Amino acid sequence: MNDAERPISPPKSQLAYWIFQLTGWGLYSLSRFFGGVTVMNLPWVHFGLQLLFVDSLAFGLSHLLRNYVRRHQWHALRIRNLAWRILVASFVCGIPLGILTQFTDVALLQDPNEFLEGMSSALRFQLALPVAIALEIVNWSVVYLIWLTIYFTAIAVREYRSAQLKQSELARALHLAELRLLKSQLNPHFLFNALNTVRSLIADNPARAQDAVTRLAKTLRYTLTSPQDELVTLSQELDIVADYLELESMRFEDRLRIEIHVPDDAAGVRIPVMLLQTLVENAIKHGIAQLPSGGLLRVSATVQNEILVLDVENPRPPAPVRTAQEGVGLQNAHDRLRLLFGARASLELDLSHPSVTTARLRIPVNP
Amino acid sequence: MKAMIIDDEPPARRELRRLLAGFPWVEIAGEAGNVDQAVEMVETLTPELLFLDIQMPGGSGFDLLTRLEDVPQVIFTTAYDEHAVRAFKVDALDYLLKPIEPARLAEALGRVRSSQAARSPHRDAVLEQIFVRDGDRCWFVPLREVRLLSSEGNYIRLSWGKEKPLLGRALAALEQRLDPNRFFRANRRQIINLEFIENVELGVNGRLHAQLRDGPEVEISRRQARLFKTKMSI
Repeated sequence: MNDAERPISPPKSQLAYWIFQLTGWGLYSLSRFFGGVTVMNLPWVHFGLQLLFVDSLAFGLSHLLRNYVRRHQWHALRIRNLAWRILVASFVCGIPLGILTQFTDVALLQDPNEFLEGMSSALRFQLALPVAIALEIVNWSVVYLIWLTIYFTAIAVREYRSAQLKQSELARALHLAELRLLKSQLNPHFLFNALNTVRSLIADNPARAQDAVTRLAKTLRYTLTSPQDELVTLSQELDIVADYLELESMRFEDRLRIEIHVPDDAAGVRIPVMLLQTLVENAIKHGIAQLPSGGLLRVSATVQNEILVLDVENPRPPAPVRTAQEGVGLQNAHDRLRLLFGARASLELDLSHPSVTTARLRIPVNP
Repeated sequence: MKAMIIDDEPPARRELRRLLAGFPWVEIAGEAGNVDQAVEMVETLTPELLFLDIQMPGGSGFDLLTRLEDVPQVIFTTAYDEHAVRAFKVDALDYLLKPIEPARLAEALGRVRSSQAARSPHRDAVLEQIFVRDGDRCWFVPLREVRLLSSEGNYIRLSWGKEKPLLGRALAALEQRLDPNRFFRANRRQIINLEFIENVELGVNGRLHAQLRDGPEVEISRRQARLFKTKMSI
């Protein structure tokens, strides 16, 4: 991976870098300047200029260091490999600056005599310079160690944030894809059986066959184009459910009886598209189709306390035939509700009646 | 040829009836709309061919087949469950997708006709094939290809090719319907297919052991040995 593929520093973080860089170095220099002038009574112009010179070089070196670590992709290293590189780099930067500092007044800030106490004066004279240089090198190495630590901490934080952002974007995309998938399930079993019914009706009852084709076209259009809308009114959904039920009753003939009760106040409530359709399909598949003599499919709606309660009832077969696919439709419906309304909507199967299964949907009137 | 249509949807039955009008040699003996009704009708009408839907109230087409003692030839008719039919291990059967193409129907009927000709004429007495469902796998098992039937409690283990499916029937009941020229009761627990015997050896205990092709060695009980010798003329 190279920088062209992976912009590790967008303009915003470029600006942040310079602000941090200037503030950090500025504060460091200022503190040493005031330390030198006030505590050690150094001549401020002379000392100040030398300090400015040394610290500008240090500042420049840190920028070169930053370009170097970016070019060599240190941010992608594992923490252990990064750690020893940071230590070495700090020391490598510390050496030239340490030596340079020793030849300026800035060196006065450091007193090597503290380390040489108790030695003979000859020895002290001999060791004074090397110890002073060593101290300056250690000093600068520590400064660069801190600098690099801050730099890579900032990078790590930024990468963590962008990973989180990507994660949430991904979650949102997934959520949308999930909704689309859960909704647009054209039931091929229904489709082919309907086509077979139409074929039979063409000979038995041509007018009915024409009606069936129109209804089938409407049902297909609704199923195939509905992914554009998330919510539709109950009455819009009922239109399509009615077409679907009409087709199914051509197929099942007198085995399927239908009752629909939807008062006006419920008809305008917005519900997830294809949801009632799914419940009705389930009622037929697991109820009516399993019973040799069929039964009554009932759809009824009421609005109670700003909640739409939608019941889909079907007769329950005595020993339900268990299949692997059973419950997939309901599970999907459940998932969609959760994605669209959170905890405020619910879908439950009421099995309290011995021979009737009721799928009960609760949706807030004002989502 | 006597045929039956088993489908829970009246329009589907009418449509198939209309399509079959083009094949006068197929006589539709009856129609059933669910499994219970179908079992009863198959047993009384003894059709030679079933047009069978898979999804029906009160059980699937497969359930129907497992409940039949003698399985006629079957053509599955299905709107969308061909994957269920294809899951079969043998393609000793055909399936038609609804709406049914007349040309495909003619093809399937042609196959039925030719395999019907290959069947033994006295099929009433003797079982030709059985339908076995073991777990979620199904087989149409041609009995002539079964080398060994072993009793396992109330079940029968069929040794057939590489498969050993379990059949939910008692060995004694099935024995009555097996071809006596082909199958022989070797001992209390096992029936062997004589055509699969590779050789017969006299064991150290004086008993006969029949070595089956691709199969185990089966001991012939003392009681059956005499009959076995006559039968094999040894």
